[in-house]
Order: sequence, then C-alpha cells, then structure tokens
Amino acid sequence: MSESAMVPAPAAQPNDAPVLHVLFKVDDAIYALPSDVVLQMESFTGATFVPGAPRFVAGIIQLRGRVVPVIDLRTRFGLPPRAPTLETRVVVGEQHDRTVALVADSAREVVRMTRAQLKPPPRLLDEGATGFVKAVAQLGDRTVMVLDFAKIIGEELMDV
Amino acid sequence: MQVDLREFRAAYLAEVDEHLGAINAGLLAVEVANRAGRASPRELRELMRLLHTIKGLSAMVGIEPIVGIAHRMETVLRAADEAGGVLGDHALEAMIQGTRAIEAGVRAIAHDEPAPEASAALIAQLDAAEAAPASEQSLPPPIGDAQRPEIEPEIAEKLTASEREEVAQGIAAGRHLLRIDFAPTPAKAERGLTITTLRERILPLGELVRVIPLSRAATESAPGGLVFALLLLTEASAEIIAEAGGVPGSDVREILAARPLPRAVEVNRVEDLPEVVEAQRPGVLRVDVGRIDDTIEKLSGLIVTRSRLARAVGRLREGGADTRELEAIMIDNARQLRDLRAAILRVRMIPIATVLDRLPLVIRGLGRSTGKHVRLVLDGAGAELDKTVAERIFPALVHLLRNAVDHGIESPEERARAGKPEHATVTVTSSSRNNRQIEIRIEDDGRGVDRARVAEKAGRDVPTDNHDLLELLCRPGLSTRDAVNTTSGRGVGMDIVRKIVVEGLGGELALDTTAGRGTIFLIRVPLTIAIVDSFTLRCAGERFVVPVPVVEEIVELDPEKIMRGPRAGGRQARFFERRGETVPLVDLGYALGLGAESDGFTGKQALVVRRGHEDPVAFAIDRVLGQQETVVRPLVDPLVVVAGVSGSTDLGDGRATLVLDLLGLSAKLGRMRKDAA
Amino acid sequence: MSEVLVVDDSKVMREMIGACLRPDPSLAVTQAASGLEAIERLSLQAFDLVVLDLNMPDIGGLEVVEFIRGQDKLRTLPILVVTTRGEDASRASVLAAGASRYLTKPFTPEAILTEVQSLLGGPT
Repeated sequence: MSESAMVPAPAAQPNDAPVLHVLFKVDDAIYALPSDVVLQMESFTGATFVPGAPRFVAGIIQLRGRVVPVIDLRTRFGLPPRAPTLETRVVVGEQHDRTVALVADSAREVVRMTRAQLKPPPRLLDEGATGFVKAVAQLGDRTVMVLDFAKIIGEELMDV
Repeated sequence: MQVDLREFRAAYLAEVDEHLGAINAGLLAVEVANRAGRASPRELRELMRLLHTIKGLSAMVGIEPIVGIAHRMETVLRAADEAGGVLGDHALEAMIQGTRAIEAGVRAIAHDEPAPEASAALIAQLDAAEAAPASEQSLPPPIGDAQRPEIEPEIAEKLTASEREEVAQGIAAGRHLLRIDFAPTPAKAERGLTITTLRERILPLGELVRVIPLSRAATESAPGGLVFALLLLTEASAEIIAEAGGVPGSDVREILAARPLPRAVEVNRVEDLPEVVEAQRPGVLRVDVGRIDDTIEKLSGLIVTRSRLARAVGRLREGGADTRELEAIMIDNARQLRDLRAAILRVRMIPIATVLDRLPLVIRGLGRSTGKHVRLVLDGAGAELDKTVAERIFPALVHLLRNAVDHGIESPEERARAGKPEHATVTVTSSSRNNRQIEIRIEDDGRGVDRARVAEKAGRDVPTDNHDLLELLCRPGLSTRDAVNTTSGRGVGMDIVRKIVVEGLGGELALDTTAGRGTIFLIRVPLTIAIVDSFTLRCAGERFVVPVPVVEEIVELDPEKIMRGPRAGGRQARFFERRGETVPLVDLGYALGLGAESDGFTGKQALVVRRGHEDPVAFAIDRVLGQQETVVRPLVDPLVVVAGVSGSTDLGDGRATLVLDLLGLSAKLGRMRKDAA
Repeated sequence: MSEVLVVDDSKVMREMIGACLRPDPSLAVTQAASGLEAIERLSLQAFDLVVLDLNMPDIGGLEVVEFIRGQDKLRTLPILVVTTRGEDASRASVLAAGASRYLTKPFTPEAILTEVQSLLGGPT
C-alpha cells in the first residue's frame, strides 16, 4: 500500500451547491461516489481471500490497522475478472458504521457536481451495474454513473 | 559551496503547518476560556511564541508577506498580554483571519506561487485589535495577596507574577503543587530518562507551571551540578506522578496543599478541545479506546520485530557464532514483551459489572410487557474482561434473558399451580475461569425447555442430551412460538447468540435444563481477544494462523497409516488411528473451500482438534511454520463473517493473514455431513 | 574539533543552522530542541560554543543565558544569540545577562558562519 490520497469532507452544503465526487473507472465506464462516503484511496496489491464470503468479495486488506473487506467491482457488476495493474485502485468507502473497500481499474479525478446535474438512471444501462447506479450525470462528453454505496456493500441483505 | 536556504522550503512548509495547527487549537482554547469568563495568559503567550517562530522561519527562507502578517498578529497578542491576558472577541476574530491569511500564503508557496500580501482589510482589523485587545471582555478577579499561598523562597523568587497567580488559582481550585526534582546523569540519559522525556510524561497529568534549573555543587547523584525543579499543579498524588515520570517517590513532594476556596473561583477544565485527557479522579484517566488499540498495534510491531531478531540470532548461531549472551537477552526481552502485553491489555479491561448493570432494566421491561413477575439476581460482578468482549456479549445476554422470560418462565397463575413462588428468579452469575476465560451463567427457575416441542419444530428426533438439544435450538429460524412474539421478535435468535459467542469471540455455549425446574445457559468467553499464542502454518500455498489452545496435537502424517473410508457426499473419507481412537482426516484447504482434496500426504502434518468431549478431527496441512504471539483482529463486517475464520492478523508483511477457528470449521463440516446424510 | 551546541525549538531552524556551519569541517554540531535540553546537555558534556534562539517555550533564551553564566565552569563559554526582528528589548537584556554576540533573522549562511568562527577564535 504505497500511495494514498485523503479526500477532504465538504462542509454542509445548501441545496444546489456543487458536491465533491470521486471518479473511478471499471472497464472503461466511469463511476462516482460522493466524497462524504469516501474515506481514502489506495493502490491495490491484492487482498487475502476469505473462504465462504460472497463471490464478489475479493477478500480482506489491512488499512492503517483496520481490517477492511474488499469488493471487486468487476465481479459485482458481472464482468470477467482482470489481474490488478499499476493503475488499479482501491476506493475505501464508509457508511452507517461499515467500512468497505471497492476495487476499481483506475481512480484519478475528483469533480464537483450539482444536484441539477444528476439525473435518474435510464433503463438501458449496462445490465451488470443495474440497481447499483442511483444517478447519471453528463460531464462534457463523458457519462458518469453515481453509485449507491449501500447497495454495493449489500446493506439490504444485512440484518442490522 | 553555496548554502541555499531556499532548499529548506519543503521542511519549512511542514513545520509551519504544524504550528498553524497549534495556533488554531490555541485560538479555540481562548474562545472556550472567553465563554467561561476566564483569562488565558498561557495560551496567549504560547500563540505569541508560535507566531514569533513562524516569523523568524519565514524571514530565513525569504517569504516577506508571511513575516508581515505574523509580526502584526504578534503585536496584537503582546497588547492583549499587557491588558491582563485576555483576547476579546473582535481581537480573536482578527487573529483567526490572520491565521487564514498565513494558511493561504503557505498554500501558495506549496504550489510554487508567491505568497499574497496581507489585504488592507486584514491590516485594519489587526491594527484595531492591537489598539483594543480586550474591550468587551471582563476579567475574573485575581486572588488577593492576603489569600496567596506561601511558596518556598528558592522557587518563589523565580516565578513571575502571572505564574504565582496561576498557582494561586490552581490551589483554590483544589489542586496541589508538586515539586519534582530531576538531576540529569549519563546513566539516566541512556535509559531514556531526560528532562525532555520526563516533562512529556507528566505533562498530561496536570499543569506544568514552570521548570526551573538550579545550580548545585556537583555530586555523584547530580554529576552535572544541575537539578531541574518541575512545578506541577495537579490533582494526582505524588506517588502517581513519581510512577508516571519514572522517578523515585522521594524526588516528588508536595510544596503547596490544595485549598479550595468556598466561593467559586472557577478554573474550569477545557472540555471542548479534542485531545485533552481529563482527570476525573486522582490517578484515573479517561482514554480513547482507539489509542489503546493503537498501542496494541505498536506492540504487535514490536513482537514482529522480535521474531525477526530471533531469526537473525538463529542465523548467527548457525554460522558458528557464540550467541549465548544474545539468547539470554532475547529471553529477557520476551518476558518483558509478555509483561508489556499484559499491562496494555489490563488497560482495556473493564469490570463485568458495567455489562451486567444494564440487565435489570432489560428484565423490568420484559416483565412489564409479558405480565410475568421476574426478579433478577446479579452475582460475582468482580470479574474484569476486555472492553470489546464486553460490548459484543451484551446482545447475547439480552437475548438469553428474553428467552428465559418469554419461554422459560411461566405466568403467575401457572407458577402458583405448580407450587412455585409468584416471582420468578433469574440469576446471572459471572466468574473467571483459569485466568483466561470468564464464565457467565444465566439460570431461571421456570419450566425448562420442552424437548419434544423443539424436536417437533425442527423435524428431528427428541434429543436425549443437552448438547444435541442446544444444537437444535441454535438452528436458524427456530421459534417454538407460532406467532412472532413482540418481545423476542425476530431480532436475535439462538443462532445469533451462538454466532456471537462462539464464532465472534471464540467462546463456548452450553445448556442444562430440567423439565419443570428451570434452565441454565452457560457462556464462556476469553478474557481478552487481543493477543493469542498461535501456530503459523502453510496450507494450499498460503499462510494461516491457528490459536495454540485449540490444537490438541500436531501429528506427522504417514501415508502408509492413512486409511480410506467410504465415499460420501462427493468426498473420500480418510482417517487414521491414534491411541485407540479413529480420527477423521480432512484437508484444511478443502475444508476452507480453497480447492479439491489432495491425495498425497508425504511430509505433511495434521492438526488434531477436539471440542469438549467430542470426537477429535485432524486437519491436514503442509507444515507448521512456527509459534508466536499474534494480535488477532476480529472480522466485523457482515460480508466477511464466515464460519471457520475468527479474525485476521499481521505477520509482519503488511498483508492480512487469516486466523482460523478450527473448532468452528469442524462443527460446520459436521453439519454439512449430517445434512448430506 | 570545536563542539557547537545549536539550540532552537524549530527543527527547520536547527537544520538550517547546521547547513550553514557545514562548510567548516572543524565544527561538530549537536542539536538541542529546548532550553531545558540545552542546559541538561551542557551539564553533562563540554561544548566550545552555544548558538541559542531567544524565542523558546518553557524556558526562554534569556533564562538559559542567565543560567549558563551562573555556572562556574561555563562562565566564559561563548554564546551567540539568534533573535528575530522586533525583539530589541530582549536583545539588550540578553547582552546584559552575558551573551557574547547576537545575530538577527534573517541572516545569510556566511554571516552566521563568520560569527561562529570569530567567536571560536578565527577559522582553523
């Protein structure tokens, strides 16, 4: 785990002020998570496999003394797996007391998007990612899909 | 060779950043003091010093704009200091703006741009603050001379007026003034005891008014002709301060006793600042649990380093060197690490009463909603356990209580008919077992568990022994009530209780019940789950860790002695004989779902585990690699809570290595086998 | 070898001063991060010169100078005090207390090296 970037939390925003989002790519599609969900980003050097965990769980990693489960987004979205490269990044998200890391093919940008820019996802979306995308935005000529972190980490399956 | 001081810009930025952090914290402290109606001379002087430092550094690396702002802010503080050590709200605001301007300057430099000059508005603001630093603030009355306590002359003549005032205020607030004498020597320095480390150790325990260097004739105990007298205002006793500082008790004495004034001259604690360690009673500190975990983390680093050291010594010995002295030192070191571990873990221990004391409220609620009359008896609350264990076990205890009240205890009428007292009794007893476990017993005098009912609901034969009955009770989704009960609800079933106790904490769950008389549930959990003596092993090309207490024996496998049994459930059963017992052999990699079972057992070992009085099971592995103490971190997230894995640890390579729960794994295999049958 | 003790609570300042003195190989520099540490070191080890910052927490440069001059064996130890602009009042009292010379920030690397060498009796 060599390089890391801390994402600053934005102050409380009035309704249409732009919100910081972290962008990352899975198989050339661009996804986003609001920065108040993202704890940090790290390079990925592999996770320890946990036998018996759901298939989309790559395993666990150690992050600053904490043990964090890692979800392979490619598997989660039904894509064929790919070996990690130097670009591969782990986006560590935290919500409702759960900290889970997501493996993306790359993660580089941080952008501001306003509520007005976020539209509900169209039905014809990439099937694998259905249900995980809660909004879509156009940034210039790029389409950005905002993910529902709770869905990805399987919040609805958990008996809280 | 030309020395270019601009090369120090990166280091300069880092240090200024640190100082800015301290300045922000200091301004916050001043604000809190203002709200409490207190002056803050110390904080102001510290702020002055920090700004003065920033000014000097900025001048050296050639950043004039920051020099200017820092200088102006310093002048404001000087004016405030002269006005009695009070920085009014307007002046405070000016300081905050000034700090922001310096931060902006630092950011600019970090981006290789010039730092901006102070705006005219900021200059005006700072000038106004200098002119009237404390206008709106009222000062607390200083302690009159008549009420000033007498301090010994050698010390008194060295203190400034405001320091004497500070002492007077502290005494009036109920603290006493301790004098700690410290003579530096080369031997102490080698042990890590210097004036700097001593100061750091006692700083959190009170207010260090002053450190006074005193000349003495050179003696053996003070070879440098120097003694430092540290003056500490604190609520802690001299003994505690001596221990915290690592100095003999005779070097710490009280020179002014506490004398709280009847009228409140408040010296309030700064409660809003983060990172403040608050003394609640002498000798007691409230500490963030995260810090203890951090400390345990650092300890694990020490343990890993020690393993490396041991290996290096081993290599030296193999190379023919005489390593006896080194090995003797390593033995001492191991003992010290163990003692340190025990000491740190003791910090995490809390009395079990903190868990048990919450139960009466639960019982009251349950009694009310079910209309049953129940009284709770708590016994043996003297035991202590790890904070994390205590937190995790609480929901399990609550469910067992719910169980007892809901299912076990009869209605008052039924009890009357059975000749039992109207009030049912639930007794919760706790005791520590063999120094490593704590046992909690929940006993009720109700109707006992109806074996027939349970068997019927589970679709199985009536269990004859308590162990099988417990197994049935812990099947997910079992409920012997037809409707979902409002108190028991669907929340925590017995399966979850078992999951918490056995899988989550590596403990045991047992049951004893007699029809008509009552039920006893027994929970046994480790006192601490933090550090466990473990075997490291290799299996299927990966390393794993297994706690030592679980392993009954490590067996060298002899392929000739391994027998094959029938094929069942797609698997070839294997076993071997061991002292008259037939021990089933399972490939650990296969049991973990890592791959198919291998056929060759040459050169391999097996770990024999046995749960209680059950039959043993042997897990085939490649080899045991070693034994060491490991810090176990439980797997908490639901995504990775699986049977057979109790946590993860770091063996020093930065990766997570799984800590296996072989008993849980064998239970899971047993269930799988029975289900397949 | 001349043993020089550089006292400043700012790590960057200590490093900078160390860099300024490095061109002269006869100077061995020891760092102290506080006036207390400086006094402690001076009591246990012999130094030929002290470079001392005035503005330090807990025990300021002035008090350190007073203490040093109060010790018999240190009465003639050369003390070079480093001050920052705007400290005129302190400068006077420091010299009165027995500091040998003062130097004001910002100073050039050559300036401090020259002062140190001159206080030690000329470059070797």
